[in-house]
Amino acid sequence: MMKVADNKFLADLLAGHVPADGGDALGRLRARAVERVGALTVPTTRDEDWRFTDLAPLTRISYQPVRAATALTAADIAPFVLTEAPARLVFVDGIYAPQLSTPASGAVLLSSLAAALPAQSALVENELGRMAAFENNAFTALNTAFVNDGALVLLARGATAAQPLHLLFIATQKEVAGYPRCLVVAAAGSSATVIEDYVALTPDAYLTNAVGEFVLADDARLNHVRVQRESAAGFHIGHTAVSIAHGSRYHGINIGFGARLSRHNVEVVQTAEGGECELGGLAMVDGSQLADTHTTIDHTKPHGASRQQHKCIVGGSARAVFNGRIVVRQGAQLTNSSQSSRNLLLSDRARIDTKPQLEIFADDVKCAHGATVGQLDADEVFYLKSRGLSEATARSLLTYAFGAEILRDIPVASLRQRLEQTVLARTEIA
Amino acid sequence: MSSVLQNLVNKPYEHGFVTDIESDTAAKGLSEDTIRMISGKKKEPQWLLDFRLKAYQRWLTMTPPQWPNVKYPPIDFQAISYYSAPKAKKKLASMDEVDPELLKTFEKLGVPMNERAKLAGVAVDVIFDSVSVATTYKAKLAEVGIIFCSISEAVHEHPELIKKYLGSVVPIGDNFYAALNSAVFTDGSFCFIPKGVKCPMDLSTYFRINTEESGQFERTLIIAEDGASVSYLEGCTAPKFDTNQLHAAVVELVALDNADIKYSTVQNWYAGDENGVGGIYNFVTKRGLCKGINSRISWTQVETGSAITWKYPSCILRGENSVGEFYSVALTNHYQQADTGTKMIHLGKNTRSKIVAKGISAGHSNNSYRGLVRIAPSATGARNYSQCDSMLIGDQCGANTFPYIQVSNPGAKVEHEASTSKIGEDQLFYFAQRGIGGEEAVSMIINGFCKDVFQQLPMEFAVEATKLLGVKLEGSVG
Repeated sequence: MMKVADNKFLADLLAGHVPADGGDALGRLRARAVERVGALTVPTTRDEDWRFTDLAPLTRISYQPVRAATALTAADIAPFVLTEAPARLVFVDGIYAPQLSTPASGAVLLSSLAAALPAQSALVENELGRMAAFENNAFTALNTAFVNDGALVLLARGATAAQPLHLLFIATQKEVAGYPRCLVVAAAGSSATVIEDYVALTPDAYLTNAVGEFVLADDARLNHVRVQRESAAGFHIGHTAVSIAHGSRYHGINIGFGARLSRHNVEVVQTAEGGECELGGLAMVDGSQLADTHTTIDHTKPHGASRQQHKCIVGGSARAVFNGRIVVRQGAQLTNSSQSSRNLLLSDRARIDTKPQLEIFADDVKCAHGATVGQLDADEVFYLKSRGLSEATARSLLTYAFGAEILRDIPVASLRQRLEQTVLARTEIA
Repeated sequence: MSSVLQNLVNKPYEHGFVTDIESDTAAKGLSEDTIRMISGKKKEPQWLLDFRLKAYQRWLTMTPPQWPNVKYPPIDFQAISYYSAPKAKKKLASMDEVDPELLKTFEKLGVPMNERAKLAGVAVDVIFDSVSVATTYKAKLAEVGIIFCSISEAVHEHPELIKKYLGSVVPIGDNFYAALNSAVFTDGSFCFIPKGVKCPMDLSTYFRINTEESGQFERTLIIAEDGASVSYLEGCTAPKFDTNQLHAAVVELVALDNADIKYSTVQNWYAGDENGVGGIYNFVTKRGLCKGINSRISWTQVETGSAITWKYPSCILRGENSVGEFYSVALTNHYQQADTGTKMIHLGKNTRSKIVAKGISAGHSNNSYRGLVRIAPSATGARNYSQCDSMLIGDQCGANTFPYIQVSNPGAKVEHEASTSKIGEDQLFYFAQRGIGGEEAVSMIINGFCKDVFQQLPMEFAVEATKLLGVKLEGSVG
């Protein structure tokens, strides 16, 4: 019985699907994805991957596809604009808003996928949907079924983006489903900072189902900051798929502050010898929010390195879920990997479920992980109080410092400061 | 060095003999009739038969767990014989009357059973296939009020205790294999330590599966009343067969106020040959309930045998200030698979738990640690520390860690750390410099790696476990 309901939810979402136009690459990809959506069901807590995240609040609402894009003005998006990042793409409810965007061309290409498609069709055909596998992921399949536009970043060989590239996704309408899509392809030796930013201008419930693919060629370097600050009633399902090659370095920072229920899958695959990956994560939730982060770092070749630190700050009756999986495949010798999951519980009703998971099939590797869950250290609070701070200030400061350790790695000052302010404001309430 | 490591694994299984004893084996298959037959053979009271039948009905509605990180063909539960007992010629009155073949078997296994038992100072209950054959030192234990006997005997002599506690920690529908065990369990050990009694000697059970295509479903129940304490040891072996045998045991421990139970296992069931043919499927449910305040349950296990191990000795920490401990060494070799770990469920205030798990994988084996630390909202001041270390020998094996940490109380403190390492060339070189050969060096490194766990074992077991790891990994030095 449950299964029928599940399929109905997916079928209803698909009902707004625009039929595949012609036999072009995008059309074929969409057709394949539509087929998969038909075969898949919405995961339940009986699925190991979704054990701690019940999607019932999300599936209770029926979402419409976006009929017409909301016309926003520059003033509407002003609070989200980053001065350091003049090159910007803006998507409203998943639809490209050219009047608000400032694309870039040349060695550092920043463009809507649809606009770039005629010139880049071969590349898009090769790369789109390759890393973000949708065979067993209903939400990624749905996103792919709707893909006809998105954000495209192409870094030419050896190109360096002097300024950060800002991808801004704004939700504005009640009970609609948006399907943002990003594709970032960094050719050999290139480097850039990309900010993927999810914000809302509506307090109502809506669904953002986002997929991003990041392909790094040899020696490419990519700083990727992903900020999820959806509205408190919104739902956010995200999937970030990254592939790193020889000598390339991916540094991802994932910040999750918003949404009533959010789920973010991060999958990093090291495809050649000697790639390097660093992941930072901060989820800060209170009220009745739920933030679920699942990461996989897959070392398939020797000499890989990965470092990961994920932190959760949970207040109210909120819940945070973290599942960090590190895989070292057979033959991936001399892998050096470390992972830490640190969690701060601020209230009696808050809950943390964390699972740092190691799967190792090579013997000459160095892998370590650690996890801690607790409240603020009494000694630290006492130390600050002995310096004349009030109990509340001391707690607020320590909570802020706990989160700031992740935020300080964000290379864009104005964004970092804004996020730090958010953390500070929230700790004062808590 | 590689040849040292390659040869580490090839020592034959020395407990792989079959004892030629006439046994009374039930026809294969499982149905209500089988259960009635087992119950009838054991002359059980009606309430126990009802317990079994209820468990069987639950079992029929359940499916085998799919989540463990182990692979095996589906088990045909109708192709297993659920009852096998050494054919007793008459009721045994003393140790002298035990079948000499059987005694020889235990001699081979090194189980102290008669005079040697006295020297070793260990009271032993021996379970052969499905039936308890001998319990030593019973009279001496009875003097201080301790009941130590087979569970079938306890059913007749202490029904009120069995009724009260059987299934109280592991309910009949707890999981697929626990339900199966509740339906068909044949024997096992029962131990009751009355109020305030410190058990004067270590208690021990030796399990052995002897008959091909039979399953062993034993049930152990240990109760420590207020202020009582006991140390309990369990050893397991089986002969070599090409077919897989099922071992689905249930162990329940209950610790009341200020009681202390220490449960140590050295599990060396037959693991299959070097190609992964045969061996025991060891699907065991072990759980302890710290019911009273300040109670303590400590599990120590050395898992070296079995083709597949699926086992999570757990502690439910209900009493305030109660303590749960889990110390484990799991060694897998050839094609063995182990998915083992623990669950620490913190319910009471200021409960503490400690987990130390060491996994060693060699050959083509796969070794997983799976653990759960759950801090309930009521468990203010709870504390957990977990450490899981893996060591890989060779590049064809796998080591996995799946620690689930679920915390719902901000006053709790939970720490988990894990690491993976190998035996380094530099370490072996260091030993070689000091004139210590490769094999001995590896053995010393592994013993050092497992030291934290071995320290928890009673003396005789620690010696046995050290030897066992040596045996498992020994080979000729290349």
